[in-house]
Amino acid sequence: MSKLLIDVGSTYFKISSDDGVEQQFRDFSKTIFDDLTSKFGDTINKYNKESVHICSSANGGLSTLIIGLTNSFSLKYAKNIAFNSGINIIDTVLYHHIDKSAVPGDLLDVVIVVGGIDSVGGIYDDKLFKYLEKLSYSNIVYVGSQKDAQYLSKNIESLVVLENIITDKLKMKEEALKEYLTNLYQQDIVGKEDIKHLYELTSNQIYSTPYIVNQSLPYVDARHEVINPFIVVDIGGATTDIHYSRDLSRENMLSESEYDRLVFKKLGVYKSKESLIFAAKNNEFVYELLNYLNVTENILEQTDEKALRVLMQLSIFLVLCKVSTHNSMYITLNLHLLKSIVLTGGITKVLSFEEVESIVQFFYKKILHTTAIPTILLDSNYDIWTLGMNAIEDKRIENVN
Amino acid sequence: MKVVTGVVGNDIHVVANRLIDISLQARGFEVFNLGVNTHLEEFIDAAVESDADIILISSLNGEAEGWCRDLQFLRAEYALKNVVFVIGGNLSVGEAKDEDIVPKYESYGFDLVFHQVDLNTGLDKLEEFLGKRS
Repeated sequence: MSKLLIDVGSTYFKISSDDGVEQQFRDFSKTIFDDLTSKFGDTINKYNKESVHICSSANGGLSTLIIGLTNSFSLKYAKNIAFNSGINIIDTVLYHHIDKSAVPGDLLDVVIVVGGIDSVGGIYDDKLFKYLEKLSYSNIVYVGSQKDAQYLSKNIESLVVLENIITDKLKMKEEALKEYLTNLYQQDIVGKEDIKHLYELTSNQIYSTPYIVNQSLPYVDARHEVINPFIVVDIGGATTDIHYSRDLSRENMLSESEYDRLVFKKLGVYKSKESLIFAAKNNEFVYELLNYLNVTENILEQTDEKALRVLMQLSIFLVLCKVSTHNSMYITLNLHLLKSIVLTGGITKVLSFEEVESIVQFFYKKILHTTAIPTILLDSNYDIWTLGMNAIEDKRIENVN
Repeated sequence: MKVVTGVVGNDIHVVANRLIDISLQARGFEVFNLGVNTHLEEFIDAAVESDADIILISSLNGEAEGWCRDLQFLRAEYALKNVVFVIGGNLSVGEAKDEDIVPKYESYGFDLVFHQVDLNTGLDKLEEFLGKRS
């Protein structure tokens, strides 16, 4: 049976039907439902609700604060799991510095408390409760030593206690926290009034787009001319996501998933254009890069197509910088081992292969000091997205049977 | 008792690391083995997370001298007063005398220093030290 696949992005819609893939910019004066049905109503009407599959990344992302015992274990593990569950980390607190730590003013979607293996008790005291009193948060979850779980449950209202993410051998155990955070992320997306309305068009679950892309990754190297290890860079209107093979990570953490994901909430080229420009201006290589592209910094103030191309090239450079040894704030990938870079998202409709290649060449020469670059593949027909949507549906049918 | 062990710095002597792990387990210790190429902070952090009694650092290529200089600072950071700090292996690059090496590592904050000492002899001395302390 043929299917209609719909992706609701922060900036544009795309649909995949029997007639191929189409995309259109969103009209922000309308609701998502009205805008989608006015643009693709004729196509949508050809399919029954069972055949329509929708995913969305519009307005997604959660903010969190992680309170942990050490940088090398509890904070590192919780950060890694959170990144992979669609969370945008805003802060971490080392528990022994909690007295001196700043209190985030904004409402946090989730606070994660973690630390100690299960046999260790008496880790937390009043300092934690006093700090939490000053915080404003919607959810709080404890994934540390089970010996302290009861004590914390008594003292922290609505505390969700899950399995410890640190095993008795100090390894990472991610399943329980990952499932909890992924569900929160999912609820955040589908709980938005605009998205709920879309259930009038489908009888299937609405998924988050990054989850869909992540599900497609085990099949990408079999279907495309991609060599492992590879990264998939999804540059969209509001966020830039990077999905990477764990072979590239120096973190040496054992887990079941082969692919991780990082989301940069402020590196999109439309909705978060201003913060992208801000990040670019703070990068020490950006003026050299603009010179390399034969433009001046005035291009960043312009709104024409040439400016959009430069912004997209900048976002490729910045995202590679953020996961390289040049920047230690995020997870560091061993980009010298990287064999392929796959670009997906709106960027593939705007930039040519040569434009992408020139920016990757600049990055490798300037930051990694080598002229050898990975092979580049543009997913211009959104094959990765359709692959992910179909993989989810195949899994669902398999589970039913 | 809980022991955090591993090889410090850019040192990949995995066989020695494994032998230490097995020997400690044979003597009844609960072992948290961080493996080779381990940073000093990771030893401290592992001791905090596991509430370990002993940190046993090994170094075979002599690089420990450079990697362990911040030990006093890190010990103070987490107030690890009751943890016993032990280092053993080949603790200098090139020739060095015990009377020069041992005081140097003690000044870094190690309680027991074993330079080119047989593994079992070192572990006997560790148990002797723990016995006296208790």
